[in-house]
Amino acid sequence: MPEHRAGVPPAGVPLAELPSGVPARLAACALPPLEAKLLAAMGLTLGSRLVVRTQGDPTIVEVRATRIGLARAVAARLTVVAEPAAP
Amino acid sequence: MSVAERRPVPPARESEPIRLLLVGNPNSGKTTLFNRLCGLRAKTANFPGTTADLRIGRLQVPASAGEALAAEIVDLPGLYSLDLDLPESKLAAELLAVDAAHPPAGVVVVADATNLVRPLALAADIARRGVPLVVALNMIDLARRRGISFDLGHLSLSLGAPVVAVSARRGEGIDTLLAAVRFALERGAPKAPAGLPESGEAADLEAWSESVVAASVGGAHAVGSASDTLIDRLDATFTHPIAGLAIFFAVMAALFWSIFAVASVPMDLIEATFANLGGWIESVLPAGAVRDLLVGGLIGGISGTVVFLPQICLLFFLITLLEDTGYLARAAFVMDRLLCRFGLPGYAFVPLLTSHACAIPGILSTRLIPDRHDRFTTILVAPFQSCSARLPVYVLLTGFLFPARPAAAGLAFTACYLLGGVAALGSALLARRTILPGSSRPMVLELPSYKMPSLRVAAAAALEQGWEFLRTVGTVILAICFVMWWLSAYPTTPAPPAALELEARAATLAETDPAAADLLVDEAAHLRVRRQQEQSFAGRIGRALEPAFAPLGYDWRLTMGVVTSFAAREVLVSTLAVLVGADADSEAGVLERIQSATRDDGSPLLTPATAVSLLVFFVLAMQCLSTLVTVRRETRSWKWPLLQLAWMTGLAWIAAFAAYHGLLAAGIA
Repeated sequence: MPEHRAGVPPAGVPLAELPSGVPARLAACALPPLEAKLLAAMGLTLGSRLVVRTQGDPTIVEVRATRIGLARAVAARLTVVAEPAAP
Repeated sequence: MSVAERRPVPPARESEPIRLLLVGNPNSGKTTLFNRLCGLRAKTANFPGTTADLRIGRLQVPASAGEALAAEIVDLPGLYSLDLDLPESKLAAELLAVDAAHPPAGVVVVADATNLVRPLALAADIARRGVPLVVALNMIDLARRRGISFDLGHLSLSLGAPVVAVSARRGEGIDTLLAAVRFALERGAPKAPAGLPESGEAADLEAWSESVVAASVGGAHAVGSASDTLIDRLDATFTHPIAGLAIFFAVMAALFWSIFAVASVPMDLIEATFANLGGWIESVLPAGAVRDLLVGGLIGGISGTVVFLPQICLLFFLITLLEDTGYLARAAFVMDRLLCRFGLPGYAFVPLLTSHACAIPGILSTRLIPDRHDRFTTILVAPFQSCSARLPVYVLLTGFLFPARPAAAGLAFTACYLLGGVAALGSALLARRTILPGSSRPMVLELPSYKMPSLRVAAAAALEQGWEFLRTVGTVILAICFVMWWLSAYPTTPAPPAALELEARAATLAETDPAAADLLVDEAAHLRVRRQQEQSFAGRIGRALEPAFAPLGYDWRLTMGVVTSFAAREVLVSTLAVLVGADADSEAGVLERIQSATRDDGSPLLTPATAVSLLVFFVLAMQCLSTLVTVRRETRSWKWPLLQLAWMTGLAWIAAFAAYHGLLAAGIA
């Protein structure tokens, strides 16, 4: 997957800064192609819905019922957009 | 290849079993299913047409009528996609390619029923390649407990392949799975169902998979995320910078304690068994070269290797249990923070941990490291970890340095482990700045669910690694033992006059004082052995090489001990025992005699400075031919093992020299 810096919504924040428990969608991935493709194959595709379960190093996210640990250096290069809280 | 270009299924020959591939994501329960299908009889072997060693098992696929079909099932490494530039993905893509040299008769995709989108996309990618396919919806019991339901008919129609619900752990659905495999094989590659993506693009496959899951899977947690505060707390604790590290060291301490405590019983049994076998051979065979070869070469060589088997098996049993609980994936992140400072990836901690039992399985387990530079760095430094084979040497020398002071000896023992660890980290840092440039790749790792470990899977891993250890090490060590025996036994040397004189005195005392006669006979035997060792090829080689090790404080005997230990470290004690004329019947006697032995000029064989020098040398030197052969096999080049040999041994020589002369300068002779 190429880098996707373009089109990042203004409200996007690095995944490493997303508070635990806040649902969000992956908006951009600024990782080298191999790492980006691996993340996509693991379920972290652009637009996928995720929740941070534990924030820190590693950042542990849950995506499609799978928990994935990401070194902070990786989480810092993923941009997410928080989803509005459910009514 | 598009779905329109489906290839015919290769007909199975009568004489050979058909071949099935087992494919799945990591943590999908693939290995559990493999063990369930094949029992514990699987072997690791080179797969035809590839350079990879894979687990291969045999099973019987039942027929609807008639004889069962013999099949061979190949357990491929866990993978997320066929399209990634990773070894496991490239291997699977190669085996499933349209022009594969050994195409499979069928593929079984193992899918985690609790998380179906990802494995279904992988199954779709395989289905479009025109291979008969069956999907095993594994962990169905867990999915049911979570309230997830499946429309298996809709899943099958969407994929164009049978989808069977199974629980590999409980053995549920296995017969149905085998029947589905038989059906898929007999039917051959079906026409692709409408809607299956023609391209292998990840986005297309995933979009298709999500739509199929949405239409086929029901239940509260079918596609959403399950919240679980207990899991969150466990994850936060196990990966915490301080608590996580403390837990990790506690777990590892318990692991090592178990290995040394539990393995001692079977190790003693193995030693006793081989000792009895040697004694029996000595009692039934006449004295001579054949008996010496069998007892000294064959039995001695095999027992020296096999004695470590319980530790190897136990280590893999416990590590597999730990891995199965889901803890090790969390621990990898804890170690990642430490190891990445030295250019090693977090993935390296399992190989480095395993190397404390033996570097060979440690090096084999580096296959789980995806990046080539990360993996080679780990392979290069793994042998610095203090393995079981160094233990006899540590026991001998720390016991000599601190007699009757077990606490101090224990500290010295620990210092040896620390020195090895520091050397590994420093060497890794140097390697990443020179020959394997780059920094370790930041970790991305799926964290599997916490669960009760499977004893069956752990037993299978222990048996497999134990067998591989015996196969790899036993053959090499055995050959070296034969060579060493020959070098030390030839040319045969006449008994020294002193020995003949003792034997003559023993003969005169035989009737009046049998006990004294026996002592004289023993002493004469020692003199004979000593003369034989001095004049043998091994002795001559030791004297020729003595100048290289004299700066470290070693005489020809210690030099010969070091040289023979390049075959295997544990050989040092047995070599010294023979060279100083030890009584091999008692281990305590062996150690005492080595510790009190003298050199040709009457000075002590071991001094504190010599002992420290020898200890440092053994911590750091690459003295294991089997490890070098394994490194050659894993890196597919002699460059890396030779570099490893030169670096480790050079470092060992310099450090031992510094330790020896530092102690001499400090007035500690």
